[in-house]
Amino acid sequence: MIFFACLLLLVLVAQITELLIPALPWLYNAHVYIVPVIVFYGAMALPFPLMLALALFAGVLLDALTVQVIGGKVEISAGSSILLYGVLAGIMHGLRPLFARGHWEVHCILSGVFTSLIVLAQYLMITFRRGSLVFTPEIWWQIAGPGLIAMAIAPVFFWGLQWLSRMTAYSYSPERGQLE
Amino acid sequence: MSRTNVIALLIFGAILGYFLSFGPETTQKFKAGVYRLLAPFLTGGSGIKKQITSVRSGLKSLDQLEHETATLQVENRELRATNQALRDVEHEVNRLRHALNYRERSVFKLVPTEVIARDSSSWWRTLTINRGKRDAIETDMPVVTDVGLVGKTTTVSETISVVLLISDESCRVAASVEGSREQGIVSGERVTSGLTPVLDLNFLSKQADLKPGQKVYTSGVGGVFPSGLLIGVVKSFRVRALDGQAQLTPAVDLSHLEDLFVVTGRR
Repeated sequence: MIFFACLLLLVLVAQITELLIPALPWLYNAHVYIVPVIVFYGAMALPFPLMLALALFAGVLLDALTVQVIGGKVEISAGSSILLYGVLAGIMHGLRPLFARGHWEVHCILSGVFTSLIVLAQYLMITFRRGSLVFTPEIWWQIAGPGLIAMAIAPVFFWGLQWLSRMTAYSYSPERGQLE
Repeated sequence: MSRTNVIALLIFGAILGYFLSFGPETTQKFKAGVYRLLAPFLTGGSGIKKQITSVRSGLKSLDQLEHETATLQVENRELRATNQALRDVEHEVNRLRHALNYRERSVFKLVPTEVIARDSSSWWRTLTINRGKRDAIETDMPVVTDVGLVGKTTTVSETISVVLLISDESCRVAASVEGSREQGIVSGERVTSGLTPVLDLNFLSKQADLKPGQKVYTSGVGGVFPSGLLIGVVKSFRVRALDGQAQLTPAVDLSHLEDLFVVTGRR
């Protein structure tokens, strides 16, 4: 539970940090997303109920910070980020045995892919509201950029979080699906 | 699937359903509530960021000083650091004096504010300011600098507010063009490739024939933005199938915003 509490705190800190990191002009103003990397690590390390709780917490924060009410209309419904995090973290959760055997590379790549999927889903939702489905190279970079950055930072974060789990004496057996 | 997992999934589904049922008003309250909780962290984080930037500039001075002679190194370092600090103070004094002058000569009631965070996501051009309901700020209030229009407030919590920039596609401003009777709607583009965003002035007549450099002001139509605020200058004009469209360069450098004013009314 200490490790879970640490992950919740890290998600909060990462979400605030994301707001303070400017967009990267050399990557078509792509944003740096740290929270998905932490959530997807949690999806592999935590048991199913705690994984859902972490996805819920991260989703609520993302919803609160991204959902815009403009002219009395909601562009992306509250809850959409919770759903996205829940589904993607669920998929990641299913790949835990691979992670437990030490194959981190798949999860690092998937963290990037899933981060881009979150940004793509947001784009499709606002496009549905505003109309005119446009895909310019800039838009593709805005979608792919955060994923590439997440992919690049994932090994460092995974290593750090693995260290944190050892420090908090957390261990979890994915095969049995129980906390030891 | 074990019973615990099924129960967890049901609880997750119920909470998700609750959030999905939010209407615009509830969503606005939910956002304002979370921002109220995050306000101390955001303000604190913004302060830390400024300190880090200041330390970085100090380290640059140290790098330069390493090339100086050994005997003058210590003294030189001190002098440079003092000089840098004084320049920062001078810059800030000038900035604030400039802002104060604008506030005094403006015909609007202005609430001065500072940017604490920007662009919370990829698809909206927003920033967060350190003023809220406590300072009489409400939703849909124009935000300006001494140069021109910046945007409008959207979510307002007790101590901080979110500003939707004019460079956002969903921020629409009724505008008129200097030296002509042309009126149109200014909005941002969904994605900008460079640091400087471009604004679109739509619904002009085909005969408008706007020239680069012509200034575009708010027309006051719509009720949110008062008339006479500078939005930008015409960059180019083209005729489309049904109307004319001009591209504008924003009057305000939207990528380097520090001190802003929220227009709370007229004097």
